[in-house]
Amino acid sequence: MTAIEVEGVTKLWGTTRAVDDVSFRVPEGSFVVLLGPSGCGKSTTLRILAGLEEPTAGRVLIGGRDMTRAAPAERRISMVFQSYALFPHLDVRENILFGLRVRRVAREERERRLARVAELVGLAELLDRKPAQLSGGQRQRVALARAIVSEHPICLMDEPLSNLDAKLRQEMRLELRALQRRLAMTVVYVTHDQAEAMSMADRIILMRAGRIEQEGDPDALYGQPATLFAASFIGTPPMNLLALEDGPEGAVVAGSGVTVLEGPGRGRILGIRPEHVRITEEGGVPAELLATDYLGADTVISARIGDQRLGIRVPGRFRATPGTAIRLAWSPEHLHLFDARSGRRESGPAGLRGTDPAPVRIAATASKGGGS
Amino acid sequence: MRASRHLHHVYGWLLLTPAAILLLSFTHYPTVATIWQSFFSTGTALRPSSFVGLDNYRFMLEDEIFWKVVGNNLLFAAGTIPASIALALLMAVWVNGRLPGRALVRMAYFTPTVLPMIAVANIWLFFYTPEIGLLDQILRAFDLPTRNWLGDPDTVLWCIVVLAVWKEAGFFMIFYLAALQALPPELEEAARLEGASRAYYFRRVVFPLLMPTTLFVLVNAVINSFKLVDQLFILTKGGPDNASSLLLYYIYEVAFSFFDDSYAATLTVVLLAALALISLGQFLFLDRRIHYR
Ligand SMILES: Nc1ncnc2c1ncn2[C@@H]1O[C@H](COP(=O)(O)OP(=O)(O)OP(=O)(O)O)[C@@H](O)[C@H]1O
Ligand SMILES: [Mg+2]
Repeated sequence: MTAIEVEGVTKLWGTTRAVDDVSFRVPEGSFVVLLGPSGCGKSTTLRILAGLEEPTAGRVLIGGRDMTRAAPAERRISMVFQSYALFPHLDVRENILFGLRVRRVAREERERRLARVAELVGLAELLDRKPAQLSGGQRQRVALARAIVSEHPICLMDEPLSNLDAKLRQEMRLELRALQRRLAMTVVYVTHDQAEAMSMADRIILMRAGRIEQEGDPDALYGQPATLFAASFIGTPPMNLLALEDGPEGAVVAGSGVTVLEGPGRGRILGIRPEHVRITEEGGVPAELLATDYLGADTVISARIGDQRLGIRVPGRFRATPGTAIRLAWSPEHLHLFDARSGRRESGPAGLRGTDPAPVRIAATASKGGGS
Repeated sequence: MRASRHLHHVYGWLLLTPAAILLLSFTHYPTVATIWQSFFSTGTALRPSSFVGLDNYRFMLEDEIFWKVVGNNLLFAAGTIPASIALALLMAVWVNGRLPGRALVRMAYFTPTVLPMIAVANIWLFFYTPEIGLLDQILRAFDLPTRNWLGDPDTVLWCIVVLAVWKEAGFFMIFYLAALQALPPELEEAARLEGASRAYYFRRVVFPLLMPTTLFVLVNAVINSFKLVDQLFILTKGGPDNASSLLLYYIYEVAFSFFDDSYAATLTVVLLAALALISLGQFLFLDRRIHYR
């Protein structure tokens, strides 16, 4: 069943289109992430779902009912704010129980739910503290508890982890995801952190400038980016995008004589993820090593083919002096091809796995591109 | 090492000196002198001032006008403090909302505060003047009996109260407005999502969070209710029959119309002591129930 359905929602702030004709569905019990760079309209979209903002056009259906103009409380949703929005003068207990008191839930029921939720998020010891006496992570848990205790089927979260340090954020990701599964909650989660989106989402809605750029599960966004923007936004380091030029035997990487595929090159862009590029002893494409960045588990190498820079991710520690000549290789199924003008993926509609490497013939494998 | 530390102290004292001199000569010395003088009789050409112990205080307790004035002042305080605070809060909440032209409204509410009390009193004189005043003209238009608002002992104090509330509410509103604007908007959004009505949100969240402001405003309102007497000079001179006289105005009369310096000093000591006690009580009593951020 569909928990939330958004149909052609647009929101104007004066003349800026914060949200521009956005449509998507959120299946019941799923974890959907709204992902995108700052200012792309994620928060505005979420606030429209919550009823805190009215859309300029379009409809919002919650549980099959049109809720476009309904008051927030009628929608039976809870929300975790980035700033947590805890009431500073109330202790943890009263913060969690705020909504239940508003709705005059009976005392025994209140206590029962409080005990359960406090246990669930690990706040049982801290119920008498004021928010100011809690750490950032604990405050975050209170905000979470307040959302859970309402037992609303849908929970909206606006960058709930962005105020935590990296380690805690990692832990909370797992915990949040486990909690969502366990309680079978429908979650719409806003973040600008693609790693967070990849690790938590059932479904990612990638936004740019108020529009949906691509929608799909994390695999699809990673494996079949529909646009240059999607390709460069997802993955750390992001996908290498190499401008192509026409060459004598096919498309060459701009500024080099390396033929990388058949057909025309001008106006096309070749994409390959850093983890899909290998360094080989022989064959492959000649490149110049520029720098190495050791990250512990792996090393990210910056290199140059012609005048195009690219990153290469290799496991472990890789030592080399800048300026060294290296040879790079990759497999055809890892290549992505984009139209430079429209930014769209070339080889058929996204999602049709296996069709894209088909027209690609790798010069490197035939060791033809050795000379330049 | 020691010498430089010594020098450090000297600098400190030198920096403090100007402020200390001002405080000592204009605040502490007069206070001590006033207390001192309240134990002496007022000197005349024939009888020089002499130590009389608590005689001035004894006299005060038997002074009917003193009790009348204290009573007036309590009524004045009871009339102005809650009304001006409530009105200030109401206006602040109203002006804080999404109101078209709210900058204008804010300024309009604040105007009485900017005006000097003497000017305010003059404006209100136009309202209260018998027969030709605005109030009476309105009453006459509806064929209602007119009255001498400021000349009637039954109404004069309340006329003064209304004026003071009008003057003070705008000032207090500014503090409430500042506090309201400092509240994060997400708090209201979170409450709305939980289904809290505006009234519930106000009662459970806004009002408690405004308590530090309320305490500040309350202390000011209490002090002002003993301090604001300028309007009496224009409107009533404390009359008729001391019906509108307040403690501070009585002290002024005793000192500068009756030239009884010692009795004026005695009354001043009592006023100061009362104010100090009230402020202390407010802070001690209310502080514990207030959430400070
Ligand atoms: N109340 C408002 N008035 C006017 N413009 C607004 C308002 N709120 C948001 N905007 C504009 O709408 C656009 C989208 O804002 P939104 O807050 O949805 O971005 P976001 O994707 O959540 O960004 P971030 O990751 O920085 O939070 C921005 O250009 C922003 O300037
Ligand atoms: Mg945002």
